[in-house]
Amino acid sequence: MRKVKDGPSAEALALDPTSRGAKSRRMWRRLRDNHPFLIMIFPAVLVVFLFNYLPIYGVLIAFQDFMPGDQIIGPYTHWIGFEHFKRFFTDVQFWPLMKNTFLLCIIGFVIGFPLPIIIALMLNAMKSKKAGKVLQTIFNGPHFISLVVLVGMLTLFFGRYGLVNNIAASLGGERYSYFLESKAFRPMYILSSNWQDFGWSAIIYIAALSNVDPGQHEAAILDGASRFQRVIHVDLPAIMPMISVMLIMSIGGLMGVGYEKVLLMMTDGNLEVSEIIATYVYKQGLTGVPNQGYATAIGLFNSIINVVLLIIANTTSKKFSENSLW
Amino acid sequence: MASLTLKDIKKVYPNTESGPKKKKKKQQAEEPGKEKANLQITDEGVVAVQKFSLDIADREFIVLVGPSGCGKSTTLRMIAGLEEISSGELYIGDRLVNDVAPKDRDIAMVFQSYALYPHMTVYENMAFSLKLKKMKKEEIDQKVREAAEILDITQYLDRKPKALSGGQRQRVAIGRAIVRQPQVLLMDEPLSNLDAKLRNQMRAEIIKLRQKINTTFIYVTHDQTEAMTLGDRIVIMKDGFIQQIGTPQEVFNHPVNLFVAGFIGTPQMNFFEGSRLVEENGQYAVEVMGKKVVLSEGQQKALKAKGQKSCPVVLGIRPVHMTLDEGGFTGKIEVSEMMGSELHLHMNVDGADVVAIIPTVGIDLEAHSIGKTVRFSFKPELMHIFDVNTGKNLL
Repeated sequence: MRKVKDGPSAEALALDPTSRGAKSRRMWRRLRDNHPFLIMIFPAVLVVFLFNYLPIYGVLIAFQDFMPGDQIIGPYTHWIGFEHFKRFFTDVQFWPLMKNTFLLCIIGFVIGFPLPIIIALMLNAMKSKKAGKVLQTIFNGPHFISLVVLVGMLTLFFGRYGLVNNIAASLGGERYSYFLESKAFRPMYILSSNWQDFGWSAIIYIAALSNVDPGQHEAAILDGASRFQRVIHVDLPAIMPMISVMLIMSIGGLMGVGYEKVLLMMTDGNLEVSEIIATYVYKQGLTGVPNQGYATAIGLFNSIINVVLLIIANTTSKKFSENSLW
Repeated sequence: MASLTLKDIKKVYPNTESGPKKKKKKQQAEEPGKEKANLQITDEGVVAVQKFSLDIADREFIVLVGPSGCGKSTTLRMIAGLEEISSGELYIGDRLVNDVAPKDRDIAMVFQSYALYPHMTVYENMAFSLKLKKMKKEEIDQKVREAAEILDITQYLDRKPKALSGGQRQRVAIGRAIVRQPQVLLMDEPLSNLDAKLRNQMRAEIIKLRQKINTTFIYVTHDQTEAMTLGDRIVIMKDGFIQQIGTPQEVFNHPVNLFVAGFIGTPQMNFFEGSRLVEENGQYAVEVMGKKVVLSEGQQKALKAKGQKSCPVVLGIRPVHMTLDEGGFTGKIEVSEMMGSELHLHMNVDGADVVAIIPTVGIDLEAHSIGKTVRFSFKPELMHIFDVNTGKNLL
């Protein structure tokens, strides 16, 4: 039996609930009692740790003159401090990249954030629940189209010899190169993204709306509220906590637009508006003469902006409402 | 303030099942020997309320009472306009309101779950309907504060519902209803979610409220105590049908059938099955537990007038009408419940459970404890005689 040296006796530990031993025993008892749940959650925690947390140490190459094959931490690691960051901030591409990324994200957000909410409220307010379910299924369909197929569809519709141009031409109009014109890039990107995702994003709001007490609607009917007034005064406040959480998460990912679809839609003609941080990182890190340290630094900078935005959004939400992520 | 008239109101919930399933369900419900399901299933669908006719006077307090699924809430919701009336007519005052929108019926409703808007303060909850009517701000403020004063919730006007207790929320729900000064106030089991003590308190509050606002009340409950204490008249329902309409005293003293007799009164009326109504030389008596009880003069007249013949019956006698320590019947006490001023004795009488209520003043508690055998009797005029086949009261 282990002796407790120079400390309180085992009896004293057992009697004192605040003692380390007592706390440790309580912890082990809790672990033992909850072990089925811990077993259930373990695979998810392992995956998150292996694929989200463990690779974080790779950001160290943002501070190194890194070549493929080099060790991230080793005797030959060449640390250069914030040189990559200085280079990026002084790069002639910096402000165009920031502008393009910001505009693409903010316009997409302004259109794309309220749209699922409006759709969810509309579907919920429909008299015919059957029709609502059918519409919901139709709205969800585009979510399952892959990005490559989606851009392929855009090409078929909006390419120089696509459907829209063929119709225009048959009516005597001129063919317009949607993919080569800078003006057309943002609308095509944003509207196609919203078309693809609004139905899927509405699901979470539809689920929240299904929990609204029907008695509140009946009370509103008796109070004299129209259908629209019930949506505004009953449904919308009921899903406000969900909207707050989704808003915080959306703001946190505001500058994190992915490169895949942009890259697929990118052409020499729209490069001045389609080159964003994510595509620049991709090109710098994986094409041509790759400079992975520089690409990592840019990516890290982008992530830091997102984290800062997330913290600001969460703090603001906490201050002005009861809803926040943490 | 208005009268209401309901004429042959019927509510049918249409079938949504497929044809073969519907047919099978109907066949099962019609099988002889099998107990019928609670509600009538027809080709149209499930009939929740049948032939509901009732005249409610202006400022009357009507209580709809019955077991769960009897159609009382459905009836209330049809009056409110939240459910469509399948057939029949509903008049509020002189106006036929079958197709009138709920907001135009000039009624207000208090829900079982309160249905308060959680994001609004108490003030805003109460003012909401008035704002929708585009009333002036000063007028709204005056009406809200008046209603809050009546219900003693002025101090809670700035709070949100989640910061209130159950009883306070219920008062806010009532306040939201009365602030509109409706012609008819509907209440759908408003006290069901409260604990027993609070329920008693709120019952008294509702009685006081009725005196203050003087409007027509229609109150739904499954609790017969609430029905008896609150209502001017009670409408007892079962399986979508009205069983009896009457004042609390009428339904207590003269239940029309076995169901009403068993539903009204706590503890439940004692039923002696296997009894027999006998007529000998123009004299009626009831044979019960091997003894013969001659009926009173009034009962004799009533039965003679109907030309009632001898038949098997169920004899009913209320626990409070039992007289102990005298008479020809005996029972062994199995349970003795001390209720303070009363003693509830559960006796085994030839295998049947019979309950008697006796005042505790001046009695020997030891002689009325568990295991003791006691004698009891009851006055003929307090007996209820029910036809064993139809369940109807023969008197």
